[in-house]
Amino acid sequence: MIRAEHLVKEFSRPRRVEGRLSGIRSFLSTQKIVSRAVDDVSLQVDDGEIVGYLGPNGAGKSTTIKMLTGILVPTSGHIEVEGIVPWQDRRANALNIGAVFGQRTQLWTDLPLRESFELISRLYGLDRADFRRSLDQFVDLLDMGPFMDTSVRSLSLGQRMRGDLVAAMLYRPPVLYLDEPTVGLDVVAKVRIREFIAEQNRTEGTTVLLTTHDIADIEHLARRVVIIDEGRILYDGDLASLRTRYAPYREIVVRAPQVPEDLRVDGPELTGTRPDGDDLLATFRFDPEVISAPAAIQRITSALEVTDITSREPGVEDVIRQIYLDGEARR
Amino acid sequence: MSAAAPGRLVPARLGTAVGARGLLACAGQAWRAQFVFRAATWSGIIGATLQVVLVMLVWTAVYGARTEVAGVDQRDAITYAVLGAVVAIVFQPFVYDTLYGRLRTGAIAFDVMRPLSAVPMTLAQQAGAAAAQLPAAGIALGVGLLLGALDAPGSRLSGLAFALSILLGFTLAQILNFMIGLVGFWTLEVSGAFHIYRMFVQFSSGALIPLWFMPDWLSGGLSLLPFSSQVFVPLTIYVDPAPGMHTLTALGVQALWVLVLAVLAALLWRRAIRRLVIFGG
Repeated sequence: MIRAEHLVKEFSRPRRVEGRLSGIRSFLSTQKIVSRAVDDVSLQVDDGEIVGYLGPNGAGKSTTIKMLTGILVPTSGHIEVEGIVPWQDRRANALNIGAVFGQRTQLWTDLPLRESFELISRLYGLDRADFRRSLDQFVDLLDMGPFMDTSVRSLSLGQRMRGDLVAAMLYRPPVLYLDEPTVGLDVVAKVRIREFIAEQNRTEGTTVLLTTHDIADIEHLARRVVIIDEGRILYDGDLASLRTRYAPYREIVVRAPQVPEDLRVDGPELTGTRPDGDDLLATFRFDPEVISAPAAIQRITSALEVTDITSREPGVEDVIRQIYLDGEARR
Repeated sequence: MSAAAPGRLVPARLGTAVGARGLLACAGQAWRAQFVFRAATWSGIIGATLQVVLVMLVWTAVYGARTEVAGVDQRDAITYAVLGAVVAIVFQPFVYDTLYGRLRTGAIAFDVMRPLSAVPMTLAQQAGAAAAQLPAAGIALGVGLLLGALDAPGSRLSGLAFALSILLGFTLAQILNFMIGLVGFWTLEVSGAFHIYRMFVQFSSGALIPLWFMPDWLSGGLSLLPFSSQVFVPLTIYVDPAPGMHTLTALGVQALWVLVLAVLAALLWRRAIRRLVIFGG
């Protein structure tokens, strides 16, 4: 179980001095700028749960994960992972957690992939038989046989990422942190990694905290999401209610030969038109709490001559984009 | 919590024996990584051999017809020079990619979340990489022996004292190399610092030129620094025909340097790791 309470992380950097000799004066200056990367974050991930941790770049996701893994010491707040305060007892914590940071690798670059696993098994004091069984199973699941003896520096990104996943899970830690495990991968590689994570969660009951910019990762893996921006939690709850809470609207797209500029429909609101072939596509949105879908369609079709009509619900991706954009607008 | 939960493969805490095996594995990994590039291995061997032959030729030429310069016997000077070249290959290798490489790729973040502390892990890797220079050093030494450039120790006791002294020197070299690697926590780039250090230490440790031949002010100054304890002190003990109190004192000074620098390295590491844990990887 991962438990974080009122987590705060501040970074301070020297203030840059403007004007003449700014370089030297900045170097000598003792003034500091303090920024809060994580601001009062509380979150709990229960045993066997997969939680998606989302937010735009620079929102504080990685900083949170680094604190949870014990790499970073929080400015204030409390963390417990499997009953251990990570930064106070890094070594005991290390035996409970595995981590994949998609942007960097924990593998030893000069040697064949196999050697990295060998070394990790020794570092974690794995029994030889357990190690072989674990490794064989992973190699099989992730189809890694063909490149086990290739040096890590020659692996493709997808192969390396599979290697990193196995490195993080070889000793079957109860808690797994995955920071962008699918970044830069092609569709097939992404699906393979998703399936693997889901499988480990199902069979081993692994607790997973996952950050990603690919919403499909979340839709396939996580029932619950936590959204963070500017260091603060904006949403913590299940994926389904995220949609109803942040995007109550439904959309209707109609194809019409012409759309008058001053078109007004009672209820559904025209949000945009764009040309498509000889016709125009007009998008209306409405709140199903206020007006039912048949009524909305009926009002649109009576106001406008349409040749085709489709209705769609906003996807999670739209919802999250909206949340990020709202955040940007506030800044 | 103490017993492994069902399905759990690792204990809640690692025992000492497991930790030691882990460190051994780190050293072995660093050792093997040194032999990945076959061309580099061969050029290392050829370079080492060439160096031994060259210093032998140079010192023979310097002495010319004389048997003694600045109170130093020709045989001793050549023995010293050959041993110095061999020792430098192991003590001051071109390897700075254990800590440095991990810093540059950001893998250092993983090193601080291992069940073993990062310092012993790094030192074990460094020792493994240094040990990987042994084949090249051994071949160079063999060539030196074949050419008759190497005399036996000054006395049996000198040989014993040398064995202890060279171990202390090796420890000292490892600590200093580790500290140079730590510079990367502040600069993120240590190859420059390492090259400067390597040039400086080859000179000031006496690996290139014995301190005997330097002007008094310079040799006096250098013998106050820890670098001379790396190479100059052990080799002086080696060629010394009459070891005595001064040998014990020299060993004592070496041990003292090991202690002082180990403490300094620990302090520096604490600062470095604080930088990492406060500012992020």
